[in-house]
Amino acid sequence: MNSPSASASHAPDSHAMRPPRRERYFTLNPIGYARQQFREWWQARLPLSDSITLTQRNVYILPTRPGFMMGATLLVLVIAAINYQLNLGYLLTFLLTGCCVVGMHVCHATLRGLTMNLMAPEPQFAGVSATLRIVLTNNRKSARHGIGLAVLDLAQEDRWAYTDVPALGSSTVQVAFQPPQRGLHRVPALTAETRFPLGTFRVWTVWRPAAQVLVYPAPEAFPPPLPAGEPRAGGAGAARVQSTGDFEGVRAYRRGDPLKLVVWKKAAKSDELVSRDSQQAQRFELWLDFAQTGHQDVERRLSRLAAWVLQADRLGMDYGLRLPGQQVAPGSGEAHKRRCLEALATC
Amino acid sequence: MLKRLATLPRDSRDTLFLLLVIGWVMLPQATHLPVWCTVLAAALLSWRALLALGSKPLPHRGWVLGLLVAAVAGTWFTHHTLLGRDAGVTLIIALLALKTLELRARRDIFVVFFLGFFTMLTNFFFSQSLLTAAAMLLGLLGLLTALINAHMPVGRPSLAESARTAGWMALLGAPVMAALFVLFPRFGPLWGMPSDAMAGRSGLTSRMQVGNMASIALDESIAMRVRFEDRPPLQDALYFRGPVLSIFDGREWRPSPSRDGSASGAQLRVQGVPVRYEVTLEPNNQPWIFVLDAAVKPPVVPGVETVMTGELQWLASRPVSDLIRYQAESHIEFRYGPRKLTEVLPEYLQLPPGFNPRTVALAEQMRADPALRAGGSPALVRAALDRLRTGGYSYTLDPGVYGAHTADEFWFDRKEGFCEHIASAFVVLMRAMNVPARLVTGYQGGELNAVDGYWVVRQSDAHAWAEVWLQGEGWVRVDPTGAVAPRRVGSLQRLQAPRSALAAALGNVTPSLVANLRATWDAINNAWNQRILNYTQSKQLNLLKDLGFSSPSWEQLTQVLIALVVLAALGGAAWSAWDRREHDPWLRLLRRVRKRLGAAGIALPAAAAPRHMAAAVTARFGEAGAPLADWLLKLEAQRYARAPAESLTTLRREWRHLPWPQHPEPSR
Repeated sequence: MNSPSASASHAPDSHAMRPPRRERYFTLNPIGYARQQFREWWQARLPLSDSITLTQRNVYILPTRPGFMMGATLLVLVIAAINYQLNLGYLLTFLLTGCCVVGMHVCHATLRGLTMNLMAPEPQFAGVSATLRIVLTNNRKSARHGIGLAVLDLAQEDRWAYTDVPALGSSTVQVAFQPPQRGLHRVPALTAETRFPLGTFRVWTVWRPAAQVLVYPAPEAFPPPLPAGEPRAGGAGAARVQSTGDFEGVRAYRRGDPLKLVVWKKAAKSDELVSRDSQQAQRFELWLDFAQTGHQDVERRLSRLAAWVLQADRLGMDYGLRLPGQQVAPGSGEAHKRRCLEALATC
Repeated sequence: MLKRLATLPRDSRDTLFLLLVIGWVMLPQATHLPVWCTVLAAALLSWRALLALGSKPLPHRGWVLGLLVAAVAGTWFTHHTLLGRDAGVTLIIALLALKTLELRARRDIFVVFFLGFFTMLTNFFFSQSLLTAAAMLLGLLGLLTALINAHMPVGRPSLAESARTAGWMALLGAPVMAALFVLFPRFGPLWGMPSDAMAGRSGLTSRMQVGNMASIALDESIAMRVRFEDRPPLQDALYFRGPVLSIFDGREWRPSPSRDGSASGAQLRVQGVPVRYEVTLEPNNQPWIFVLDAAVKPPVVPGVETVMTGELQWLASRPVSDLIRYQAESHIEFRYGPRKLTEVLPEYLQLPPGFNPRTVALAEQMRADPALRAGGSPALVRAALDRLRTGGYSYTLDPGVYGAHTADEFWFDRKEGFCEHIASAFVVLMRAMNVPARLVTGYQGGELNAVDGYWVVRQSDAHAWAEVWLQGEGWVRVDPTGAVAPRRVGSLQRLQAPRSALAAALGNVTPSLVANLRATWDAINNAWNQRILNYTQSKQLNLLKDLGFSSPSWEQLTQVLIALVVLAALGGAAWSAWDRREHDPWLRLLRRVRKRLGAAGIALPAAAAPRHMAAAVTARFGEAGAPLADWLLKLEAQRYARAPAESLTTLRREWRHLPWPQHPEPSR
């Protein structure tokens, strides 16, 4: 983590399909339950905003474990100074106490006055870590050191992405989080903390951004080939007669296609084989249909459709998407792909 | 080498810096520790430094564990305990050195820091001088620098930056330190002082082995400082009385177990005007309160009871374990002791049988002298002093090791020695001649520091002299060293210990410069002692008295402390409230306008500009609002026009007298 815009490490894949937060915290421990309730109540009170300036009101501070150890050390030092009547021992102890008191204020001031802005998050596929980019802006004349950002409810040790914010400048931090499932989600609550300078105090804040992130269904890892096209409505017979053998279109390679039909130029660009489809392209169009995915489970159907959308887009084919209650007319290109994925995410 | 350091990975650089600081903090202990511990610590730190330089992995836990067991065992064998001061210091140093081999997690770093702070405190067991304080301040800043550096996780921050942060943090922490130091209530030790608390500090001892004092004579450290209220007595009258030794076993002088009864046994009779003075006594872990030899009134030592023995020595109720200051009143002219020989204890005539046969023979010979026999004891004393003066005896700090018959060797063979040889031989001769005699130890002389007017008495001023009992006079001081080396007693030019080559060269070139430097340094040290080291409960309570408390107690100290904390907190709250306020006067005025418009029913967003407000006012009040709208436009011009026509003060005045539309028409 050497650059100012450090990124937190990615979560292991086993957590890919994480259930929503509320279920995760189900516990029988009454104290834990009360704590969780309090946290949720507290967080629900926080305003939603994509930009936050930290003030005395939303920055919290508590001693850390080393802080308590430091307290114990000071106690032992002062007892030694009393027992051996060492005035210099008093001086040492009190100077250290003074430094800890100053350290407490420095620690609090490291976060207080900082402005954090969340950049609009890009849509993501489920199961892949989404990246949130946060810009920290420092309006004071000295740098702020050792500020860590993370998603609030992650439990990993190494979730923190640390940064320094230069004096009168800004720096960008990237924080990864795992969207629980497809759909339009609110960005999870974030937290920023610092222990600078002495590590005896932890100063932190909790921030609920208002932004939402769109999560597409996770594409199936090994989808079956694209379905066959459907006859174009009207004029189907006429086209058949005019078969000239010219190159008219492409389709995914199917077992049994003669090698001379493979479009090698396209194969070089992508890792899938494409066959010339001299007959069908004119008369058939590709529809990715929810009803024809061959699965019972809705999510797995959507996963397969997402995989097909990506495949069709990679092949540069025209395709349409048919979902229960809505349909996207055939088309191609980036915008079309996004429209299809969006439909898959939110249906 | 430096280039190499600059290109080291951050981890290695940080570790090396931490090791350097730890080494610095441990260094003053090197000579106080058992040899094995010093060697172990040095070896471990070097090993760790090599590992850091090569970015090599840390040794296996088993190694550390084994070394730990060895260190604990070594401590046990050296000190026969794991508790107490010296064993504790040894253990802390060993643990700190070992812990550097275990710097894995952040928690480990904290353990090193805390042990480092303890080590710093242990340095003060051995010295609380200004130099030690400066060295430890540097060490503290080093530790803080390392700690701050450890909390800058990003990139490769420069150590200088961390050091700067540590510096100003310490600077800001200094007022807290000062307030706590002045007001934190001082107690006596919470529980019994470990008996070894004073080990390693030099001073007079309660016993005197002939030959033992040479080491003290070489010790230039300060024993006490004296300030006389009026004119000081002559320097050769400055005898600060310590333990009186009367039992001799041929080699060692010990105090009499009977202590010669109570103060009434002293039968002190004083004359003349007393000398008033104040003594600042360095800790010596002995209950001795040094005063000029005859003090009738007890010296006023804060918090300590004092009693006088029959031998005129003043004793404190507890050992002097920290710097103390006391006032005393002494008489230079005095007589004391029993007047009749029958009241003198027979122990003052006893000599160990079988020792010093030639001295005994000399005594017989002198007693047989008819001229001396007629003169009695005073004549015998004079004869002995004459012999010292004329017999070719000389004063030296380096007389060599004496054999079993110390008095014989002095009188007949070596004919040289320093005060203790001379005094011991003199007392032996006196007793052999049946004159009651005893040995007194203490300090003689001192030198005036012209910078601050204090008389400085050093350990090298430690002295031994004799007292003989004379019929009709009682105990009379006889300083036989004065007979051998008149300059040793009461002279400014004392016999000096061998100096280092540099100091000698400097001293030869500019003796006055060296003297001046030393006087200044002593004065600074004295100020340090008086202000910092001697800041005791009584001074604390005096301070409260100055603040206006009639009968100060430590409860009131605590109250003052709490009041200060509350004041600081209130100040902080006030500052934070001020900090939150809008500081721009223009914006403040605008906010007032918006509030008043809001009260009049015109709700405006927080970011509304004056022009925006003017439009809203016109829409709401029509013509009646024209002056207000104009004023708002002027306000805008004041902020944004290149050359504003009116100042903000004028606008503020206008705002106060602005005709406010009284009856708003029903809107729309």
